[in-house]
Amino acid sequence: MTLAANSQTSFPAAANPRAPSARPRRAKSTDTLGISLVTLASLIALWFLAAHFGWASSLFLPSPAEVLTQFSAVAADGYANGTLLNHTMASLGRIATALAAGIVVGIPLGLLMGLNRWVKGIFSVPIDLYWGLPPLAYLPLLIIWLGIGETSKIVLLSLSTFAPICFAAQAGVRSVPAERINAALSLGANRLQLFTSIILPSALPEIMTGLRIAIGAGLSTLVAAELIAAQSGLGYMIMSAANFLATDVVFVGLIVIAALAFAFTSGMRWLEHRLVPWKGKL
Amino acid sequence: MLRIRDASVTFPASDGQEVHALDRISLDIAPDTIVVAVGASGCGKSTLLNAIAGFLPLTEGTITLDGQEIEAPGGDRGVVFQKDTLLPWANVLDNVALGLKYQGLPRGERRERSRRLLELVGLADFAEKPPYELSGGMHQRVGIARALATDPKILLMDEPFGALDSLTRETMQQLLASIWAKTGKQIFFITHSIEEALILGTTIVVMSPRPGRIVARFDTGFVRDFAESGDIGPIQSHPRFIELRQEIRSLIHKPEDVRKGTLQ
Repeated sequence: MTLAANSQTSFPAAANPRAPSARPRRAKSTDTLGISLVTLASLIALWFLAAHFGWASSLFLPSPAEVLTQFSAVAADGYANGTLLNHTMASLGRIATALAAGIVVGIPLGLLMGLNRWVKGIFSVPIDLYWGLPPLAYLPLLIIWLGIGETSKIVLLSLSTFAPICFAAQAGVRSVPAERINAALSLGANRLQLFTSIILPSALPEIMTGLRIAIGAGLSTLVAAELIAAQSGLGYMIMSAANFLATDVVFVGLIVIAALAFAFTSGMRWLEHRLVPWKGKL
Repeated sequence: MLRIRDASVTFPASDGQEVHALDRISLDIAPDTIVVAVGASGCGKSTLLNAIAGFLPLTEGTITLDGQEIEAPGGDRGVVFQKDTLLPWANVLDNVALGLKYQGLPRGERRERSRRLLELVGLADFAEKPPYELSGGMHQRVGIARALATDPKILLMDEPFGALDSLTRETMQQLLASIWAKTGKQIFFITHSIEEALILGTTIVVMSPRPGRIVARFDTGFVRDFAESGDIGPIQSHPRFIELRQEIRSLIHKPEDVRKGTLQ
């Protein structure tokens, strides 16, 4: 009823249901949000039931209450040489450093590779070669070269965040429509103006996608690296707990990592929405 | 004045032979005229426009604009594309102001000039909208305003209304005729529609493919009446219009081509 009334009068775009704004998409995402919340609630309920009726020994599946107790214990008193906050910050610090390195090196290099045949020719071979390797396969080599300390882990993580960012920046440059470049040239753009006003913003959506992939790659490499060789971090905490069959602490670690991953993804989506609202629209 | 002298463009084809996209074209475009190139796909009209714009080098010959040889794209030739080339991250006003920004004009001045152009194309109320909220016809209006903003010597239009529905297309033809009458810009316009060529051109050049050549040239004045009256009906029923339409059609679709089945 209100829809019919709206479509007959001229409304400002925000209130006009027929304006091609983000409106239909938002309606869609709210729909799946409801379903997802029900799924999440069901999984937690199932966990409660399983623990309550003793479907599995608490050694394998601790009850939600045990995990919650352990959560506050780890948060307050710590586990494996540090509180939960210490471990989380150690992990976050590593991934932030690696991400910064990946961005600082990956974006300019990727842009250059997209723009210049020589740069692409020189750098694509080494990047393709190492990107095909599983990070954990060359971690031992990095440890031999750089020692067991922070450096080898940061380098490992930087390598895993760098490649997706670099590839994305390169693809971004190549995705610029030729007509868009011609249009700018015929409006009198010089080379620098062409780069800053056309190529860089055109590449931005691809770069944002690359960042999201880089965060995912970094997070999985991070935890794996900490499982193997570390004195702090969430992966290290999980590994120490597993050695003593402290399944509840393992759960605490997993929940924190899942929350971090979710926060990263949501943050990136938000950032994407803010920085490249036109993505997929033109 | 734009002078094209013996302009040829040759591409290497995939079978190792050469494709003569343009073969010794000579053409002048004077101020206050609209030269429309019409022809079937592959007749070289887009190649000619791209060469004038500077997107494509000539294999032989020269193109000069006011005595200066064209070697690269530049702000003295405004281009309106068939495909939408607006920047999605900038609103309509900033898209129109893009060329002025490249020239280094202060923000206030370029916004003011762009606003006047948006009024000219009838989009004053859409200045703050992002391009992806516009219709196809509006896109082309913004494209025309953007190309006019830097006050180029010549406007090059690459089938700008080809993708529009016929009603929008007629409105856009009216708009272009009135803009031309107001600004007196020299315009080079390409189309595959004979009617559009007759309605908009002061000069119509008919091109034929392989090699791309000008096969006929007609000087008409329908666009002056059209700009004045804005009414397409009387023009389309004018005996001279009907006669020319038939003549151009027979030049483009040669009867022997139809018999041989080589018509595209």
